[in-house]
Parts: sequence; C-alpha cells; structure tokens
Amino acid sequence: MKYALLIYGDDSAWVDLPDEERAALRAAEMPKWVALFEELRKADPSVSGSELSGRNTAKVVRVRDGERIVTDGPFAETKEIVGGVFRIELPDLDEAIRLAALIPAAHGSGAIEIRPVVQ
Amino acid sequence: MQYMALIYSDETEWASLSPEQREEIYGRYGALSRAAEEAGVMAGGNELAPTRDATTVRVRADETLVTDGPYAEVKEALGGYFLFECGTIHEALDWAARIPAAEHGAIEVRPVHVNPAEVQL
Repeated sequence: MKYALLIYGDDSAWVDLPDEERAALRAAEMPKWVALFEELRKADPSVSGSELSGRNTAKVVRVRDGERIVTDGPFAETKEIVGGVFRIELPDLDEAIRLAALIPAAHGSGAIEIRPVVQ
Repeated sequence: MQYMALIYSDETEWASLSPEQREEIYGRYGALSRAAEEAGVMAGGNELAPTRDATTVRVRADETLVTDGPYAEVKEALGGYFLFECGTIHEALDWAARIPAAEHGAIEVRPVHVNPAEVQL
C-alpha cells in the first residue's frame, strides 16, 4: 500500500527567525532528518519527499463563477499547517505508524497524519 | 522550481456524487494531468483516501500516541495534490486554477523547498 505521511507543525516561530538563525537551527536539526531518510529508504528505496516552504510563501486560489480569486497565506487558519509530505510504499499501517513516529516533527508539538494513497 | 498545489474540498460533497458524476470529474483530472505533461510542468500528484481512513501519530515524552482520523477535523479537507514544475508562482497558480476542485473548494500553492547543499529524499 502506498501512503502519504503528512507532516503538521507550527512554523510561525520558524518563519519569523532571521535567515542566519533559521539556517543554524536547520543545520542542527539536519542529522536527525538524514537518519530518518536512511530509515525510510530501507523500508522503500523509491520513497520520495517534498518539503514545503513556509506559510508566508503560500497562496490560495479559488475559482467562482469563472472568476479567479487569489489570496495570500495558507488555506488553514490553524497554527499547525502541512510542512511536507513523504510518499512511501509499505506493507501495512503498523509499519507506517512506526516510521511516522521516527519523523522529528512528530515530537514536540507536531503530528503526522497517515493517509493511504488512492491508486 | 517545484510547486505543490494542495487540494482542499468538502468530502461530503464528493461522497454525495453519483458514479457518473465522479467519472466525469476523474476525466477532467485526467485531462489536466495530460495537459500538464504535454506542457512539461507535471512533476507528480496523488489522490489521498478520505480522512475517515486517516491515522494520526504524535510522540510525546518518548511515547507514541496513535489516533484514528485526521490531524484536524475540518469541513474542507486535504484530498490530494499536484506537483508542478514552473518558472514562477504565477504560472503555478494558472495550473492550480485549472484543478476541478478550485471551482468549489480551494487550492493552496506552496513552493517546494530545495537546498542543493542538503541531503534530499
């Protein structure tokens, strides 16, 4: 079964940091993510992931009566928004739960939503 | 640059459609995918199972907490996404506006973060 692991977290503090501080924080976090990537590749060599840029880069488009309406900011008004997605082929949900718990963002205040992908 | 177009729409509306109506909408999604492929902007996409099939995982104090259901119960839920390879966000918004769900739901467009100096997956 193919799963999408959706990473939810609060990026508001993160996006407001000066570039240098954000880069330093990122560099400090990176080894945890690299270890995760290795674990995910062991489970599925064709795993892929997309990290999304912060909420300040988001735009929302709606089309109503043929007219396009574009607004700035993310769709959800919640503190926690989607920050990235992994796509991974796994034998079952238990394995998806095990790997989701290894994602650094599952710790602290974040959460991982697991959704089967429709084939 | 890659842009993710996140598709938000009311799942109950989709559930209320007839098989013929769903087929018509799938046909429109297929046509959009083909048009994006022909234009060289198609970089991926997935339809997600409905939120009733979601499982949410949190780790607190080294304990894994698993709950059934989505991270947030919302009227308009994330139902899938496209990845478009575009030169600008405006171009990505043009493609996002062609997604059928833009006509009743909303499409959030976000640049995909890539740092060539970092390990990628």
